[in-house]
Amino acid sequence: MTYPATSSGIDPVDRLAILAAALPGAAVAQRRIAAPFDAVWRVIADLEHATPRYEPGVVRVRVTEQHGELLRLLVQDTAGREHAMDARLRPGWCLMQSATVVTAFAARRLGSQTLLAHLEHERPQTPVPRRSQPHDRGAALAKIDQELRTIERLAVQNRH
Amino acid sequence: MAGNLWEVPANFPHVDPENVAAAQQGDALALDRLLDELAPYVRRLCARIAPAAADDATQEALLAVFRGLPSLRAPEAIMTWVRSVTVRTAIRLARQQDLEVAADETMTDRSASSPEKLVDIDDVLARLPVSQRVVLVLRVREGLSEQETATTLGIPAGTVKSRLNRARAAFREAWES
Repeated sequence: MTYPATSSGIDPVDRLAILAAALPGAAVAQRRIAAPFDAVWRVIADLEHATPRYEPGVVRVRVTEQHGELLRLLVQDTAGREHAMDARLRPGWCLMQSATVVTAFAARRLGSQTLLAHLEHERPQTPVPRRSQPHDRGAALAKIDQELRTIERLAVQNRH
Repeated sequence: MAGNLWEVPANFPHVDPENVAAAQQGDALALDRLLDELAPYVRRLCARIAPAAADDATQEALLAVFRGLPSLRAPEAIMTWVRSVTVRTAIRLARQQDLEVAADETMTDRSASSPEKLVDIDDVLARLPVSQRVVLVLRVREGLSEQETATTLGIPAGTVKSRLNRARAAFREAWES
């Protein structure tokens, strides 16, 4: 798989909104994080150590391959199952996908703070995509909010 | 120089059909790559049609494209469709911007667009009415035929021809002023 060498020039948070537009039912939320961009991004980019600390369904992450921005991951869930994921990671942009889920982070510098947006999406397993129900959506947004708060805590610790 | 206006650039970017099919199925990494392929073209069109609102037009056009992608019935014609969506979006934002500028100009003079500050073609194009600017951009800068321009804008080819004549005259007048 090859990617264009040049970036599209679109701000990562705007890019996440465009991606979400093509993923019906995706849950997206954002939070102004009280830590600088570099500290926030150190947390996001540390997939192996940080992901299990903010993602309650994940026990372990292992990077099995890396070619520039493209990564292959092996993710173990709380039930002990392992899932292969493909990812694209660069400063301000992290997109991960398995056969069943998509998750993404996008970050924008806001002076000494950071705007961090997070997307979670269950990939439809049937030909007709199932739109998420309101209570599913509320739960998904609450989960994302909790994860963003945890990431903020980790980033603030990381700042020092 | 004005002669640069008549140069025809490469038209569409290369888009991998297999990647489009995967993107339509909700493959997020394929969508990410498609965004890289489409964004420079969408931005270029928006910058020419809606120069004062290029960033907003680019974002809105890409949102509309990605929202409509899963239900696009003819993926082989994706670039024609992307062009139509982008041009419609850029025209709408350009008209909004023109209305806002017109409202501002009732209170301020127009020194910002005085002839001595017109340094290149895009400055002159930006001064034309949106309906004339868009036919010049599509026909001349993007190299579309009259029929393709008509299809993109949803107007008869004869209207494109007459609008193009008026646009060329207006461009020459603005350029030489």
